[in-house]
Amino acid sequence: MFVDAAPLLAEEDLAQADYVGVQRLWLLSLARAPYARNPQGALRARGATAASQEQRFGALALQPWDLHAPQLAADLTRADEEHEVDYVARRCLRLAIGSRIASRGAAGRILHFRAGIIGERAYDKGRPPIVVQIFSGGAPLGVLAVDGPGWRKLDVELPSGPEERDFLFAVSSPDAARPFCLQGWTTR
Amino acid sequence: MSGKALARLLGFGTAAAMALTQSSVGFVRDEGYYFAAAQSYEAWLRLLWQAPLQALAQTERYWSYNFEHPGLIKLLFALSHLCFSSSVGDTLAWRLPAFAFAGLISYWLCLLGQSRSRAAGVLAPLLFWCAERTFFHGHLACFDIPICAMTAGVAVAWLRGGGPWLAFLYGLALSTKHNAWFLPPVLLVHALLLAREQRIAKLRLLPWLLLSPLVLLATWPLLWHDPLRHLGDWIAFHTHHVHYAWYYFGEVLRGPPFPLFYPLVLDALVLPLPIAALLSAAGVKLLVDFARRRLDAQRLLELGLAGAAVLPFMLRTTPIFGGIKHWLAFLALLSPEAADLVVRIAPSPSLGALAALLPGLWQIAHVHPYGTSAYGELAGGIPGAASLGMQRQYWSNNVTAVLPWLNAHCPPGARVYFHEVNVESYRAYQLAGMLRGDLRYAPSPTNSDYAALQWHREFRDREPETWNAYGTRRPAFGLYLDETPQVIVYARPGFPGAP
Repeated sequence: MFVDAAPLLAEEDLAQADYVGVQRLWLLSLARAPYARNPQGALRARGATAASQEQRFGALALQPWDLHAPQLAADLTRADEEHEVDYVARRCLRLAIGSRIASRGAAGRILHFRAGIIGERAYDKGRPPIVVQIFSGGAPLGVLAVDGPGWRKLDVELPSGPEERDFLFAVSSPDAARPFCLQGWTTR
Repeated sequence: MSGKALARLLGFGTAAAMALTQSSVGFVRDEGYYFAAAQSYEAWLRLLWQAPLQALAQTERYWSYNFEHPGLIKLLFALSHLCFSSSVGDTLAWRLPAFAFAGLISYWLCLLGQSRSRAAGVLAPLLFWCAERTFFHGHLACFDIPICAMTAGVAVAWLRGGGPWLAFLYGLALSTKHNAWFLPPVLLVHALLLAREQRIAKLRLLPWLLLSPLVLLATWPLLWHDPLRHLGDWIAFHTHHVHYAWYYFGEVLRGPPFPLFYPLVLDALVLPLPIAALLSAAGVKLLVDFARRRLDAQRLLELGLAGAAVLPFMLRTTPIFGGIKHWLAFLALLSPEAADLVVRIAPSPSLGALAALLPGLWQIAHVHPYGTSAYGELAGGIPGAASLGMQRQYWSNNVTAVLPWLNAHCPPGARVYFHEVNVESYRAYQLAGMLRGDLRYAPSPTNSDYAALQWHREFRDREPETWNAYGTRRPAFGLYLDETPQVIVYARPGFPGAP
């Protein structure tokens, strides 16, 4: 069986996953598998509510959840590829270290920024951090240092200003050989 | 039937069982390397026959490949191939010596078990083999089963044999795998712990081991020139071995310190529950009797050798990859005691044996030939182990499940990304007729038309890489064991078989 009725998300951390732009999450699980963890607690902890009862299809369980997430204002990185960071496929934009990307979009209230080293190179020890500087309208908005494995997060409240704005993400590190990807979006 | 005849029968039966069930067992990564080594050594054997002096002068050229393991086992693979490949085919000919070592395990475990009772003699090898993990390893042209067999053989020789036989068998062990380095200290401590008369006799036996390196030298022509350098390389390879990533309770272990009880926990999770429980009880019984000074010479040796097999993997710094294969002797040396427990405790030996072995037989019937994926009842089987975050598989042999699909669907000359399957194993599949000869080995998903991805936590990057390269996330085929993804095949859109 393969689900193609909706975008498939393989995020493992139900409590912390971003689910960018997702309002309703259809949770598909093998609930009867030995040692299977009940996902409901993690979803409830993030404020999600079950939209209906769980339905069973043999071993599979399906349940819709409303995430009540802030509305997406703009997807600033608009990635159409996926890359593995911290063992999870992330919809993120691969960017060479030492380069930058500019984007224009609705500002909304909060800028969400995520970044990480792709694949095995993330586990190299003793490597210098990768620093991402974020600018909005030419003014510095925040800095994120990626100094090891993991999907690093930065959420910044945007100062008041025009609804449409320019954003710039500049990536630098003395060790530029590592594959790196980032994702940025704003919510209202 | 005499005790030795019974042991021989079990030995031949084991080897025959391996031979009869081997065709579906995939070629694990290391077998690919050992097949390549055996080919090189076979070429040297042919040269030795035709031009002996030239062969003696060119040992480096033919024997440097796979310098990190002694020559004996690969030499046997080469000799077997030389003698039998025309009648049984290349890959089976390489594997035949491995079946002989599997048979030797049964033979020696039966002898050790029979010192308790005849029933224990029969049950000891069965307890060792009636688990998919051990049964799977019995098929492979690798060193793990041979060194397990040689450890049991050295035990029997130490207990019952004379000096020359002990020296010869330990020499064979030394020529099999570096696990043998740990045996002399165990034998020394064993001798010192015996009563005075036995102690003196064993201490007189010990110097015979000084002759054992001659067997190593004789069976490893690489040492015939510049032996100190090659010995140094051999030792250095293992004392500085890399740490491969290993998934354990939801965490990818990439380097020391590793969990202290890792090998014991893993044994408990992968073995069928009755066997895991019996081996645990056997270990505890031996330890308790040791503390009470109630162990005779054989049981003391079994405890020592079992401990020496597993303790290096509890140092927290020893590489832990490879499932339970590196300490198989731990299970083997506990089997006679476990068999004795069944015979003593069960209302009838037959009923006890049935209860102990049936779950393992079911595991083999259910999971074989995907031995590196097998998990026991304590882990909740394969899906439970997946929920717990345990290593799903290793060594790439599960790819055999998707080879027929690839053979049926790939257009001529298609490029296939085989992921963990190395080039050597890919060639072995073609040689064995399991994979079409025209299919090409692709180095990455980007350069491929089909991808056979093996689910490994540490290689999760390969799947999104394939999605990006193919522009689809929809698999075409796969191997799923109890609904647990093992091998997932993707086909580039537009190619035959693509969804």
